[in-house]
Amino acid sequence: MRKISIITLIFSVIASSLAIANEVNVFNARHYKADSELYSKFTNMTGIKVNLINGKSGALEKRIISEGADSSADLYITADAGRCGAMDAKGALQGGLTSAAIKDAVPKSFRTNKWVGIAKRARIIYYSPERVTGAELSGMTYEGLADPKWKGRLVIRKSSNIYNKSLVASLIKNNGKAATAAWAEGVVANMARTPTGNDRAQIMAVAAGEADIAVANTYYLALMLSGKKGAEQQEAAKKVKAFFPNQNDRGTHMNVSCAALVKGAPNKANAVKLVEFLLTPESQEHFTNNTFEFPMIDGVSPSPLVVNNLGLDFKQDMKTKLASYGKNQAAAVEVMTAAGWK
Amino acid sequence: MRINFWYISSFVISLFVIIPIITVFSSFFDNTSNYFQVLKDTFLMEYIFNSLILLVSVLILTFFIGTGSAYLVSFFNFPFSNFFKWALILSFAVPPYIYAYSLTAFFENYGTAYTILKNLFGEGNYNQIIPKFDGLLGVVLSISFSLYAYVYILARASFLYQSQNIIDLGKNLGFTKFKAFYSIILPAARPAIVAGLSLVAMETLAEFGAVDFFSINTLTTGIYNSWIAFDDLAFANQLSFFLLLFIFALFILENLSRKNAKYHFNTKAGFKQKQKIQLSGKKAFLAFSFCFLVFFLSFLFPLSQMMYWTIKFPENLFDLKILDLLMNTLYLVILSSLLLIIFGLISNYGNRVNKNKTLNILSTLSISGYAIPGVILAVAFITFIAWFDDSVIKNLGFVSIKKVFIGSILGLVLVYFIRFYSLAYNGIKSGYEKINISVDESSYLLGYSKRKTFMNIHIPFLRNSLLFVGILVSLEIIRELPITLILRPFNFETFATTAYISASEDLLEAAAVPSLFLILIATFFIIVTSKYILRDNND
Repeated sequence: MRKISIITLIFSVIASSLAIANEVNVFNARHYKADSELYSKFTNMTGIKVNLINGKSGALEKRIISEGADSSADLYITADAGRCGAMDAKGALQGGLTSAAIKDAVPKSFRTNKWVGIAKRARIIYYSPERVTGAELSGMTYEGLADPKWKGRLVIRKSSNIYNKSLVASLIKNNGKAATAAWAEGVVANMARTPTGNDRAQIMAVAAGEADIAVANTYYLALMLSGKKGAEQQEAAKKVKAFFPNQNDRGTHMNVSCAALVKGAPNKANAVKLVEFLLTPESQEHFTNNTFEFPMIDGVSPSPLVVNNLGLDFKQDMKTKLASYGKNQAAAVEVMTAAGWK
Repeated sequence: MRINFWYISSFVISLFVIIPIITVFSSFFDNTSNYFQVLKDTFLMEYIFNSLILLVSVLILTFFIGTGSAYLVSFFNFPFSNFFKWALILSFAVPPYIYAYSLTAFFENYGTAYTILKNLFGEGNYNQIIPKFDGLLGVVLSISFSLYAYVYILARASFLYQSQNIIDLGKNLGFTKFKAFYSIILPAARPAIVAGLSLVAMETLAEFGAVDFFSINTLTTGIYNSWIAFDDLAFANQLSFFLLLFIFALFILENLSRKNAKYHFNTKAGFKQKQKIQLSGKKAFLAFSFCFLVFFLSFLFPLSQMMYWTIKFPENLFDLKILDLLMNTLYLVILSSLLLIIFGLISNYGNRVNKNKTLNILSTLSISGYAIPGVILAVAFITFIAWFDDSVIKNLGFVSIKKVFIGSILGLVLVYFIRFYSLAYNGIKSGYEKINISVDESSYLLGYSKRKTFMNIHIPFLRNSLLFVGILVSLEIIRELPITLILRPFNFETFATTAYISASEDLLEAAAVPSLFLILIATFFIIVTSKYILRDNND
């Protein structure tokens, strides 16, 4: 009896994996409710079933690479260009995201032929208007975070955080490794506390008076203002203001959530279709209103919460290729660690 | 020595369970390192330092909470002492990662504590005065309040078996209560307490969810990160080596203390039932307060934080397919505990009928799966299957077997099997030790075959042990995180994975609903079986 049930189990697993189905397999490291709503919409429109395996990016990447050519993964969707770039560097991706629909929608610096950005976010500075003057902030840049005038006034996440890795990678790309190493030491010297907590915790530290400026992504403030995090955090969010750095030179550091085409994808055509669907104005609007990210494509406006509280007219860094985040990641980690950035 | 069915099955089971350990060690000789040496040295020191601090702090805390509360409920009567006796094991229902979510939710800037103060005293900047429990301190508290119950259960069991005679002896010598506790009761219970502490230690070293949530780098997360993020097997193995050193030391300690424990448990000659001392007044209040505080902090606090959030953000309740999650969780629990019990039985019986050294060593080694962190087991399993598929199966011209094992229920259950095999094996073994070997001999004399002896005599004898093992394994699987996270199939979530994923996306409120259900189901399991866990009567 036991043997029979084990054998049946094995066979049913094999059978189910060999069955041909109209589907697309997504290894998903973005877990917003809004995303799964979009996937259902896609299934309703096209009849293509979206199979999801949710997880943290590291584990998903490892699984895709271990499974190699036999991987069931079609698309890998994650929240940082540095991760897509790193997967590319490991040879786990393939070209093919080259349809006209994709090329027309996404600016060149935000895509390669193996992965494309599907929604944008900026990593910006938040400040307390009570304790930081306009003069202090005037012409503020990421480079300026190392200025001794911020000593004991700055909060930022740990160096292990991917958003920080990508920000520092972009600085290495623009200023070189030696200058960035000196910069990292200045930043560490300015920290108000040992790095702890997520992006939202940095913003709240400014609201609570633990620090005067914080570095965090744009959508977190909108999320707090939306009231989805409760009335207290909504109040707290009103005590901080957003500032977009580097407006007088290359522009504010941008990052994306990206979709990458996995090497050996069994449903490649469906994967391309899904990416094209995520880039339609309808999907983009869904992203902006629910995750408070910036749209990837022109003609869609960010959520009113973002527009009214963060402002829309800022210069984005369109020059630094996002592919460099993955390439300079190891150097970024080295620079931060050497500076004693926890 | 004859080779028979029982021998071969035990051999194969043990061998299978050892595979991941062999995989970890065999990749020692790989050298894929492309990482900077300076970084490695910095990280290595940090990982070892954090793991040590974590280990020592958790051990001290669980020792005080576990033995303290066990001492109070075993030797004294005070208000609600009978309630606390079993209520104190409910902390098992709250895994460390859920405790970590609760700590953060309550104490963070503008968190629940802030809301309470604001509602009580009006507007004010309370964030400055609310203590922050994050980082290493947060991890220590989360693990300690979840795991002290190991120490509590074993210490209490040992206290119960202590005879009134030795306590009277202390009294006659004019010892104070404290001195009697310190120099008589505690030393007598030492093996049990050490056994409890070493279980705590193994779980602490293997802990992933809470440590990852507070982003503290320990040896376990270090192995995970260098393996997964940097593909640096060489460094991962270097770390594994240090971790295994820790674990083997604990393992030996635990085995030694278990052997000693037997002597203490069996001194029944002159056993005199202990008289519980009735406490009153201030002393009763203090004893009550201590137990209540432990119960409150370990169970009521996380439970109410999760309930509060579920009520405050009710939309999350409707977003979840709770029935699906429940079915998935139960499916894994039932399948895995059945497999574990069946194979644990076969292997134990195999060992019993074949007194063979190789088999004995193999069995002892195979139960070390429990000491190896789930994250590492899962990754080792994937690495092994990928290697086996690429170098054996494909060369023989067969279709790839990767999909059969990676990302399937089969693979998931197999790795659970490896991880929790020692729970099943040891649980059944302790039941078997109570069946005298002469029972087997009589059965053979009566003409029973080995199979018939096993089915008709041993299994009925072992019923209670089997039930207990089943529950232990079920509790572990309900709370299990890293293995499920890495190996589960498409569109398959459990309460644990749903909670973890929401939390890692900074959606702690959404993590509350699955966490709450997880706590409730685990609590149900514990209450149903509390009488087996807290066996009061001598067998």
